[in-house]
Amino acid sequence: MSDSHDSPDFINDLVRLFYMVGGVLVVGTIITFAIDLAFSLPLVWAAVIGLTIALVKASFVVAIFMHYKWDKKLIMITWTMVITFFFFAGMMGLIMWADGDAPNLARKEMPTIWVVLASLLGVALPASFTVLTVKMLSQPAPVEAAVPKPRRASKKRIN
Amino acid sequence: MEIPYTVKPRPDTGLYNAKLGIWLFLASEVMLFGALFSSYVLLRVGAEPGTWSMGLMDLYVGAGNTMVLIASSMFVVLAWAELKQGNLAGYKKWKWATIACAVVFLCVKWSYEWPSKFKHYDVWLNDATVLHEKFEKGYHAEAKRLASEMKLSDYGDAHSSDVEKHVEKIYTTRFFKEPSDASKTAFKQGWANGTLALSGHINGYREAVINVQIGEWDAGAGVTQDEAKVAVNTQGGDGDQAFDGGGPVLANLDYEAAKRAEYVLGQAGFKVTLSVAKYSDRVDAHPWFWRTPRLSEDIGGKPRVHSIFLGLDHSKDEEGLHHQEVEIETLHISRLSAYEPKHSTFFGIYYTITGLHAAHVFGGILIMLYNMLPIGLGLWHRDREQFTNRIETFGLFWHFVDLVWIFLFPILYIL
Repeated sequence: MSDSHDSPDFINDLVRLFYMVGGVLVVGTIITFAIDLAFSLPLVWAAVIGLTIALVKASFVVAIFMHYKWDKKLIMITWTMVITFFFFAGMMGLIMWADGDAPNLARKEMPTIWVVLASLLGVALPASFTVLTVKMLSQPAPVEAAVPKPRRASKKRIN
Repeated sequence: MEIPYTVKPRPDTGLYNAKLGIWLFLASEVMLFGALFSSYVLLRVGAEPGTWSMGLMDLYVGAGNTMVLIASSMFVVLAWAELKQGNLAGYKKWKWATIACAVVFLCVKWSYEWPSKFKHYDVWLNDATVLHEKFEKGYHAEAKRLASEMKLSDYGDAHSSDVEKHVEKIYTTRFFKEPSDASKTAFKQGWANGTLALSGHINGYREAVINVQIGEWDAGAGVTQDEAKVAVNTQGGDGDQAFDGGGPVLANLDYEAAKRAEYVLGQAGFKVTLSVAKYSDRVDAHPWFWRTPRLSEDIGGKPRVHSIFLGLDHSKDEEGLHHQEVEIETLHISRLSAYEPKHSTFFGIYYTITGLHAAHVFGGILIMLYNMLPIGLGLWHRDREQFTNRIETFGLFWHFVDLVWIFLFPILYIL
């Protein structure tokens, strides 16, 4: 958290925000729970709904609880994660397209929906991070960013 | 050596060092858990119908544990906010609350969720007819009651059809949660081939009572006759008789004593033969982690355990029913396994993921305790800002553990 955000008022706002996020998480859990009890969903829909709600909950935790929203300097890590997610999504997609294993030489169930689901996950996760990043970038630069970088020592210097 | 930039952000990264470090650590954790999650989803999708027993998971307990972790995540961030305002007492209050939540979470895992699985068994038989007999014995009464209660007219009079419906219901809730075409086909196949498992608790068993026959003594074994006599005496036999030819019999030993005698007398140079004299009456027990080899261990051509008494499961929505008990002979059992990692792919990856997560929770508790003790709080009195930052970085870790559970909950309990 940057120093410009340390005023007592800001902390009070934060605490209010924390309670709100806690509420969101509880509601998300209850929805997941209730949907599973109330409807007999097929595997695919259970996965889509369950994981989507989990994704929303996770975004709130990362953005607010982990102060990601205010840590504008974590962009490098963000991009590392975005690229990792794309990489994993691609890998999962590859496995999904496998035809089948011996001794079952072909799959009876059509796995297409899973390919779609995996790709969706692979897009949704980095997309949420990207949106967060863009939002952060569009905010005014934090105060400490004005500190001038120390000059790099010249490579030629021997002592 | 003093670590730089513990409070002020480092100019080039813009973060204080600990925070950058913890984020890098979390990035590596994301990859670790990401790989495990992908494995789980892929195994789940690729599983043959009727092999993924997610219907066993107790949704209420799972949701309860999720709430507990959410609360702890709230508390840890509130503790940090208190520190930001310079309030150490408030920090301690919220931190204890966090620790309490973490302990509750682990207790539920450690004392309910896992042990109840370790004491639960699946038993596969090698004969479809015997399997149907056992189902009939175990479920006939319940199936009748169920049929009359639900006023199902299509149940008919034939017992076997009642029982079949009852077993199908249990099978479906466990492997498919709800009836579907896939569940019906899988059940029909399993019923016809006899590949369904009887599942439940082992309430008791009948074990071998063993006779130990002491045979010839080998003088070349490097043991003197006197020593050999003493060895026989320690095992409850008559040492003088042991050399009279024919040899004495140690009669009616239990398994442990017989095995000990076999070892000791074997070391003393005797040829030893074990044989089953008879099988004991029922012994009440609730064993953990039994597997087939334990039951069928060969003792003079007979299995070590004659039979187990299995209290069969009933379907989830029938509250207050007794577990119906059947006796299953070892010679009919083709495989027996508790719900342990070795049981199946599902339990293998289930324990891997939840175990790794629980290890993170446990580590978190240790760090929190450290930060509550005088040795950890010393930093607060030296440098408040650095301590606050330390708590913030711990919070980041703790939120990550919460995050993992947020994804684990739907994957394990709903998928």
